[in-house]
Amino acid sequence: MPKFIFDLNLSLPVFMKYHLISLGCQMNLSDTERVKTVLHQMGYTATENEQAADILGIIACSVRQKAIDKVYSRIALWNKMKNRKSLITFVSGCVLPADKEKFLKLFDLVFSMSELPHFPDMIRQYGVVTPASLIQAEVADIQENKAVEQNDFSALKPHNLTSARAEKIRLNPSAEMDRFWNVEPTYTSDFEAFIPIQNGCDKFCTFCAVPYTRGREVSRPSDEILAELKMLVAKGFKSITLLGQNVNSYGLDKKDQELSFPQLLRAIGEFGKESKSDFWLYFTSPHPRDMTDEVIAVISQYPVLAKQIHLPLQSGDDGVLLRMNRKHSMEKYRHIVQTIRQLIPEATLFTDIIVGFTGETDEQFENTKLAMQEFRYNMAYIAQYSVRPGAASSRWADDVPKETKKARYHALTAELMKYSHEYNKTLIGKRMRVLVRARDRKDGYLSALTEGKLVIRFASNDFSLIGQFTEVEITSASPLSLEAKLCAVKSETVVA
Amino acid sequence: MMNSDFDSLHQVLSLRMLTPTAYVLRVERKGLEFKAGQHLLLGRNGSIESREYSVYSTESDDFFEVLVKEVDDGLVSKQLKQLKAGDKVKLDGPLGFFTLEPETIANGKFLFIATGTGISPFHSMVKSYPGLNYRLLHGVRYSNEAYDRQDYEPSRYILCTTGDQGGDFYGRVTDFLRKNPVLKDTHCFLCGNFNMIHEAFEILEQQGVPSSQVHAEVYF
Repeated sequence: MPKFIFDLNLSLPVFMKYHLISLGCQMNLSDTERVKTVLHQMGYTATENEQAADILGIIACSVRQKAIDKVYSRIALWNKMKNRKSLITFVSGCVLPADKEKFLKLFDLVFSMSELPHFPDMIRQYGVVTPASLIQAEVADIQENKAVEQNDFSALKPHNLTSARAEKIRLNPSAEMDRFWNVEPTYTSDFEAFIPIQNGCDKFCTFCAVPYTRGREVSRPSDEILAELKMLVAKGFKSITLLGQNVNSYGLDKKDQELSFPQLLRAIGEFGKESKSDFWLYFTSPHPRDMTDEVIAVISQYPVLAKQIHLPLQSGDDGVLLRMNRKHSMEKYRHIVQTIRQLIPEATLFTDIIVGFTGETDEQFENTKLAMQEFRYNMAYIAQYSVRPGAASSRWADDVPKETKKARYHALTAELMKYSHEYNKTLIGKRMRVLVRARDRKDGYLSALTEGKLVIRFASNDFSLIGQFTEVEITSASPLSLEAKLCAVKSETVVA
Repeated sequence: MMNSDFDSLHQVLSLRMLTPTAYVLRVERKGLEFKAGQHLLLGRNGSIESREYSVYSTESDDFFEVLVKEVDDGLVSKQLKQLKAGDKVKLDGPLGFFTLEPETIANGKFLFIATGTGISPFHSMVKSYPGLNYRLLHGVRYSNEAYDRQDYEPSRYILCTTGDQGGDFYGRVTDFLRKNPVLKDTHCFLCGNFNMIHEAFEILEQQGVPSSQVHAEVYF
């Protein structure tokens, strides 16, 4: 069992190290940022070298079996490492109940993300004294007693909860999530950030296991969201993304006691307008069922609300959508896209599509190709259907041959490339505002994104531009990216 | 109403056997809001496993009922069958969007197509909204699986059987559908197994029913 280590020369604690593996989506990345904060508050420091770590953790993903297999192979290795040194292992994130039961036998700690604020307490109960816990334990108990008595969960900080008290708070999952959201994330960038606004899913798409791993939809209080957003903007963040499994069903679980999603967007838009702040606000991932005309109208009205919409299609065939339990028809989807084109003609459109879903016929796939032609996406994340353990469709035969899925994937990708290339060519010669993100893989170039999240690279070695808005002129277009030259002088630009 | 972990334990009120393998489990409702057609996640207290079950009871009942068929290699359906009045179950929900649009209830024409225990949401709808203009096709293997048939108006309920000839129609619900085309302005709700939904949707499409009027809840 790991113990608090003292450096004999200095008589000061040598900080213990953690190694964290994050699998899966942006939501998991965002959760990881909060896990890091809690570990830092306990006095751990990060290490890329898992051999050097005292605590090893995985933020798991259950979307595909492959991701879960990774967890099993990692813990097998870590448990072997325990023969040589004292270690604590933990797993959190998206875990199905059946896997959770198995993980309990393999990992030292298994907890859901909403239990993150209790993590230091779990470590303490495990017998590990951390520098932070030594200093804070006493203060924590006092604060905790006061907060629980007053039902003020927001006052509780991650380090200050004993398990007995935690039980009281566990009685209310919404309060549990509130406490999780109160953990300030350790941002991995100083100009791009995620703000989780909603957790869980009530939609039960048959191909997806999220309702079973993350539970029901819970919305974060809007005052906290706005406070986090304002703090990020004040710190100079330029690209902020509201995150949720069904981001646009925000507020529905609170039954008129909370802002609706369009109201939240409007509040952010108003803040941008009044403060004259310079940032782009995105959101992902919305569900077409809850994509109202009002959401689109609000986006069209405020400059800080980025003109880029990610609208998962999954299939262009009503029969397949029905079996996917998507709860929207092509007619509904078409109406949304038409409204976007009408109110925000400059908006770029991204999507997610699954090819080869159980029972998908050639004709049904052709309907998805037609949808691709009709909606002319700028980007589509196309996946070949694979059985996701725990999802309803895992009980059905995965009956579309692998080769057929592959062929459909390539055919659809070709369609995407055709339409995105056509669009990109229309931008040649235009000036655009971009957010510079990093050095490009090509030497002497920087990589940037437009407001519409189109990928651009331009020749420059001025690394001070990274994290800044700048203007470029498009010089050439490829199917999924653009080349540009840096503009010296500001002028009127186009949004895309 | 928010359902906390504590509140998620509901007491079992009764268990009523309909056939040797199908039963209706009645549990406390605890004032939870519910619309006919929604489902619950149910599991035995203390078990990590839970399953989705459409609510069988009505919007006005002060309890929840679910219709469960014991599955040979199933886990939860067997566990729930062992429950007795006073035991506790874990309950999450009600959830889902397989519900009737309020503006269609008074004057709309409905076709409900179910296989097996997929009849649950329709039982709830029919009993929640007296006067509903519906026709219910219920596909089962044997005629003794016409669960609570007396709860439907005889002229509106058509039992389709494939294992014996004791029903109103010998054959599958989709065979009946092919022989009896549906009017285009009918609101069609399908609940049951994957293959039935796949086939029924195609038939309805061929008969000219707009896909926006076809709703499905896929069971297995």
